[in-house]
Amino acid sequence: MHNEDYIASGVLELYAAGGLSLAEREEVERRAAASPEIRKALDEACMAMEEYAVLHAVQPRPELKNRILDQINASIPTHTSEPDTAHNNVTQLLYEEDKAASPYRWMFAASIVLFLLSGWMSFHFYTKWQQAEQKLATVTADQELLAQNFKNTSFQLQQQEQKLAILQDPAFKPVKLKGVEAHPDASLQVYWNPQQQQVYVNVVKLPAPPAGKQYQLWALKDGQPIDAGMIEISGNKGTMQQMKNIGAAQAFAVTLEPVGGSKVPTLEQLTVIGNVES
Amino acid sequence: MTNQQQPILKLSEEELVERLRARDASVVSVLYDMYSPALYGVVLQIVKIEETAEDVLQEAFVKIWNSFESYDASKGRLFTWMLNICRNQAIDAIRSRQHRVNTKTEDIEGPQVSGFSAAEFKPEYIGVRDIVDNLNPEQKQVIDLMYFEGLSQSEIAEAYDIPLGTVKTRARSAVKVLARFFKGRA
Repeated sequence: MHNEDYIASGVLELYAAGGLSLAEREEVERRAAASPEIRKALDEACMAMEEYAVLHAVQPRPELKNRILDQINASIPTHTSEPDTAHNNVTQLLYEEDKAASPYRWMFAASIVLFLLSGWMSFHFYTKWQQAEQKLATVTADQELLAQNFKNTSFQLQQQEQKLAILQDPAFKPVKLKGVEAHPDASLQVYWNPQQQQVYVNVVKLPAPPAGKQYQLWALKDGQPIDAGMIEISGNKGTMQQMKNIGAAQAFAVTLEPVGGSKVPTLEQLTVIGNVES
Repeated sequence: MTNQQQPILKLSEEELVERLRARDASVVSVLYDMYSPALYGVVLQIVKIEETAEDVLQEAFVKIWNSFESYDASKGRLFTWMLNICRNQAIDAIRSRQHRVNTKTEDIEGPQVSGFSAAEFKPEYIGVRDIVDNLNPEQKQVIDLMYFEGLSQSEIAEAYDIPLGTVKTRARSAVKVLARFFKGRA
């Protein structure tokens, strides 16, 4: 658009009267800066509106001037090096800003404070929560350990009770099996209830069986060996192990046999033997 | 500035600009004395509430001081630049929710500062009546909606159901009338 057309379009008057958007205003300013002709026409329009504003001028309250000048002066960095002066300036700056604070500034400040507070509280409670979780995990582990211990103890107690019941029961005959010449230190205790045919063994001392071998208990009836089951060597010396039921026997013996047991005892591997006292 | 009640120190626009550019804070006082009544008048017309108008003028002056390096003298007059800052600030203020709340209270509690009530009863503003005689009511309506209500040309066209071209024509002739009127008075 030529300058004359641009001036005649009325856009300069709209600018002066404040009827343009920001983008439209910037375009007018750009054209005015580029052309003295447009600039002159723009100034005329603006001066007319300026006069119009002056006609409607209102004197602000006198306090406003000080408020504005104070705020502007307070924003100017001071070049004095004296600490006292610097301190005073800082105090005044804060004071002036307080005085001039708009609701937005307060709301902004309050929102920052709230934000920081909520951040701190989130962190605080998160930490507490993590600590509580950790404590709970420890306590749960402790409790599980305790329950395990209790279970073990109960099991042991049950075994001891069972053992005690056997030892106290007059129907059980204790049979002490002693080591043969090859194993003089070996010994084993058999408890036998002829009426109920129950047999229990309590390993007191047996040499550790070599790999692939296991001890087998035999009941001897009229010179005939009867399989009474395999002996489990457990770490617990007090364990009472129930064996196969035996109706009648004059003696008990233990031999070392391949794992799983044999049909007939290997007599060379006889470890302990003992007679039933009648 | 013929309406000032007390004598004030005046400087040329060039000198003002030069000293403001040199960050001479003492010149702000002169700037304020020279222009604040006209700026405050426009701001007050737009926001209608004195308290808000004072806040707006304060924020605008701080902005004028802080962003003075962005004033480009080649693009327009100093007053025009300052007025644009004041108007933007005032329009922001009336469009914020805070202002709407205040206006409501004002409506209930007491009379608001409206139109030309303040100006018309002061003898020094007698010129307003001459203006009214010179401008036809349609021209005056358009120019006042823009200048004192902060509406853009398209907002006026939409709100008052006037074609945009007509809004432009009326605004243009109004400014022309004002320019002739003030030239004649000078």
